[in-house]
Amino acid sequence: MRRKVIFVLCSLCAVLGFFTVLSVNKVLNSEWELPSAVSSDQERQRIVLITQELDTPFWKLVGQGAANQAEREDVGFELWGSYGKNQEDFLKQVEIALHSKVDGVIVQGNDTDEFQQLARIKAASYGIPIITVANDVPVEKSLRKTYVGSDHYAAGELLVKQLVDDMGKSGEIVLLGDAELEYSERLRLDGMQDNLEQYAGIRSTYIESGSSDEEAADAAQQALNEHPNVDAFILLDIRQARVIMQEISSRTELEPFYLYSFDDGSEASALLTEGKLDAIIEQSPEEMGEKSVEMMMKWLRNEVVPLDSAGYVTDIRIVEGKGELP
Amino acid sequence: MNTIQKKIWMLAGIVIVMMFAIWLALTFYNQKMQDQYNDILQRYLQMNEVTASSQQTVTNLNDYLSNPTARSANTLASSQQRLQDAQSSLLELRNADNEFSLTNYSNMIESFTETVERSTVFSEQGENDTALSEFTEANRMSVYISEMTLSIFNSELRTYERFYRDIIRQSQELNTMGILLLSLTSVLLLLFTYLFSLSITKPVHQLTKAANELAKGRFDQPIRVNSNDEISFLAKTFDHMRVNINKLILEIQQKAQVESELQESQLLLQQSQMRHLQSQINPHFLFNTLNTLSKKAYLDGAEDTSDLLVSVAGLLRYNLKRLDHTVTLEEEAHVLTQYMDIQKARFSDRLTFHIDLDQSALLYQMPSLTLQPLIENAVIHGIEPKEDDGEIWFRIKDETQYIRIEIEDNGQGMDGNKIEQLLKGGITPQEGHATGIGFSNVAKRLQLFYGSDNVVEIESMPQCGTKIILKLPKVMEVESYV
Repeated sequence: MRRKVIFVLCSLCAVLGFFTVLSVNKVLNSEWELPSAVSSDQERQRIVLITQELDTPFWKLVGQGAANQAEREDVGFELWGSYGKNQEDFLKQVEIALHSKVDGVIVQGNDTDEFQQLARIKAASYGIPIITVANDVPVEKSLRKTYVGSDHYAAGELLVKQLVDDMGKSGEIVLLGDAELEYSERLRLDGMQDNLEQYAGIRSTYIESGSSDEEAADAAQQALNEHPNVDAFILLDIRQARVIMQEISSRTELEPFYLYSFDDGSEASALLTEGKLDAIIEQSPEEMGEKSVEMMMKWLRNEVVPLDSAGYVTDIRIVEGKGELP
Repeated sequence: MNTIQKKIWMLAGIVIVMMFAIWLALTFYNQKMQDQYNDILQRYLQMNEVTASSQQTVTNLNDYLSNPTARSANTLASSQQRLQDAQSSLLELRNADNEFSLTNYSNMIESFTETVERSTVFSEQGENDTALSEFTEANRMSVYISEMTLSIFNSELRTYERFYRDIIRQSQELNTMGILLLSLTSVLLLLFTYLFSLSITKPVHQLTKAANELAKGRFDQPIRVNSNDEISFLAKTFDHMRVNINKLILEIQQKAQVESELQESQLLLQQSQMRHLQSQINPHFLFNTLNTLSKKAYLDGAEDTSDLLVSVAGLLRYNLKRLDHTVTLEEEAHVLTQYMDIQKARFSDRLTFHIDLDQSALLYQMPSLTLQPLIENAVIHGIEPKEDDGEIWFRIKDETQYIRIEIEDNGQGMDGNKIEQLLKGGITPQEGHATGIGFSNVAKRLQLFYGSDNVVEIESMPQCGTKIILKLPKVMEVESYV
């Protein structure tokens, strides 16, 4: 009896002891996951990438590339910006970045007075270097250190070459561009128009397509009304592509037209695979991100002084759609 | 020694230590959690302080610009100081997640402070327009600061959500641990209590059993208790008592034996006295007659007969008087010679008696009527059956340790069996003895008197005579025995 009682108590003790030790272990080992503290003496440099089009895949890729490069360089990096080309919000972000005395600002160039004001005066007064990316603002207006992105003039040329290859050396084309052309869009337009001058058989017309969807639709109607024999459309702003194509297809078949655009929007790849677009100029957003951060770091570390103010060009290439050509 | 008190103290100590440890652990964790909560709250309060002080600075700047007095300058300076204090404490709040935004935040406050200072400087220089534009700028920055505070709040909430979940999980685990610990402690306590009670009751039980044994009269079983406390002390004492009682009982038994021996010797004495009485048929008449006969014989010129009669009378007198007294060896030897005179008269040439006495030994005491029966035996068994040449030797020697008395005859002797029987008293005396006292009676009386078993020895072989040896311790001046 006595032995039985002692045995039962001992085994109970052993079992409970085992579980208690497990539990105690768990309690002792479960650390509260607090973010690790940072010592105040070693401040990392901070770089901000600010864009107006946070919502587009293009800018997401730019941000991703920049973030990767920042991680490699061990600098603090954040992607700021506004959605849907919200100018006011964008400028506010830039201002905040400058007031926050970040070490470098990489910004999507914005060809407005307010932006130039900020870049020229405020950034200079705080001594913060600015690098434009993807969209440039001329150096004399913005005092930017350099530009990283595609050569838009070359992109225009490349597209014209593709057009001539597809359509031949004669035909009628319509160029559609939104109300306020960005510096980069203007460069593309220049590139195309300069090139088209070589081909006497090609008649080109530039139609302003406004900034809203309704205006774009109207512009498409206008183009079809005024130029019934039009063979090709070139859209400077890919964000308007879907609306315009819808408008065209509501009037007639979409197939006979050549449709070209420049990829800096969200719909390019979808439209390409649907076969509605015949070709687009594809840029290298990730490369832009990486390169911009790299250049900024080189500047901050005084490795390359001064930076090439003409800019660092990233790769562009033509991508053809899958749709059957007429 | 482990006393029961010590055991109780130990048990209580273990309980207290366990409780204390558990309490300590729980308090420690509680404190840790509280500290963490406090830290987090402190962060929010500090950030809020930044917003509040920046807004106050803007208000004070506005007051100062519209009414630049020393007093408004003072309030502005104090609110700026407050903002700077808040800013300096911000650096401690940085961590991996919010390093970027907090640095921005801090720099923003710096820019704000600079702008405010610029504004006041311009105002002092009278450039009111510039001061006003700087004020507008400062105002805008103040708005940015509040917005930034909110966004940092947001990200902090996101960061600490994980932490809150951890804390909740931790507290749940703590609960489980508490329950387990409680049950473990309870079971351990049960075990300890059981062992402890066992360590007390078991020895008590053993002791009870031993006491029962004692009560039944078994004093020979040792009391064993497996314990090392007071009970074991009790058990040892108890055992000691048992041993003592055992010893006492033995002593009583020995005493009883001695008493029974004493009674036996008295019995023997009475027996010899009885025999003695039987043998004295009107001894005084006989005694007087013998004396008359002795005188008559002397007067008639028969001197030998007269001597003989004197010897017989002396022997008779000795026999009558001295049975319960000690006598000296000399007296005993004298009686013995008188007896031998009589026997010599009886056997004439057939008996030769040799006597050899050590004078120094004759002073010692011995029981009376011991030697005469022995020599009587020698005569009856050694001389009577023989035709002639019967010889008897009687020697007393002082051997320093003891007195050696030898009575030797050259009769037919006896074998070992008979010697043994004789020594054990298995042979009753035959007729023809003068006193009726046999060998065994003598031997027994000597043993009792000297309190020793090996007083009497017999050396004998069939046809080679018998030698009786007495080894008597030297005893002086004992009036009487029994």
